[in-house]
Amino acid sequence: MFDDVNSVMKRVSWLGALLVAMIAVVASFIGFFVAGISGILAAWAGSAAAFAFTALTVLSVLFGSKMKIGGLLALVLGGWLIKMILFLVIFSYLNQADWLVSAARPIVFFTVVAAVIGGLVLDTWVVNKARLSPEVKLP
Amino acid sequence: MQIIHLAAEAATQVSQISGNLGVIGYGLAAIGPGIGVGLVVSKTIESIARQPELASRLQVTMWLGIAFTEALALIGLATPFIFTA
Repeated sequence: MFDDVNSVMKRVSWLGALLVAMIAVVASFIGFFVAGISGILAAWAGSAAAFAFTALTVLSVLFGSKMKIGGLLALVLGGWLIKMILFLVIFSYLNQADWLVSAARPIVFFTVVAAVIGGLVLDTWVVNKARLSPEVKLP
Repeated sequence: MQIIHLAAEAATQVSQISGNLGVIGYGLAAIGPGIGVGLVVSKTIESIARQPELASRLQVTMWLGIAFTEALALIGLATPFIFTA
């Protein structure tokens, strides 16, 4: 049984969500000991942002692969552009949020870094495990 | 003498520049991964045009390349949380 883009992307999304949830739990504990409730909120905000950032790429490739080559280009690169603007707005809001005390600020950064690096390891593992076949139509 | 005078004038003007350095940080965080993602996508399209039967494999490889490249952008955007003025 061979995999296609669809199945690889769906597997990555589910496993990625699981990984980010685990990172959020661990980061919440650390955040609570460092900065109390604000630390927990910081851990959730960081892990949610990292997951949304990577999940949007997965979605753009998932839907782009069903289109012609121009659609793939438009979705992946256009999605990237929209994502950057979106995250600029989200991070600038978080940067000025009252509920984020200064002790909790590094929690956001380190949660984002942990989720991104963990996600990359997971992505590489899933792609290496996947069995992708060339789409050759036999006569 | 003229050059020294101009340099002194330029130094005075530079010291008067005000604004948020985070703007430059955002630019630096976006420019590298932006070029990287563009290169990854363009090469994938080139490869799919050469060998359309490998499209699904190439798309998955492309996505992995994008994921690695854009990690830099995300970490770059999150740096204001540790580097405060």
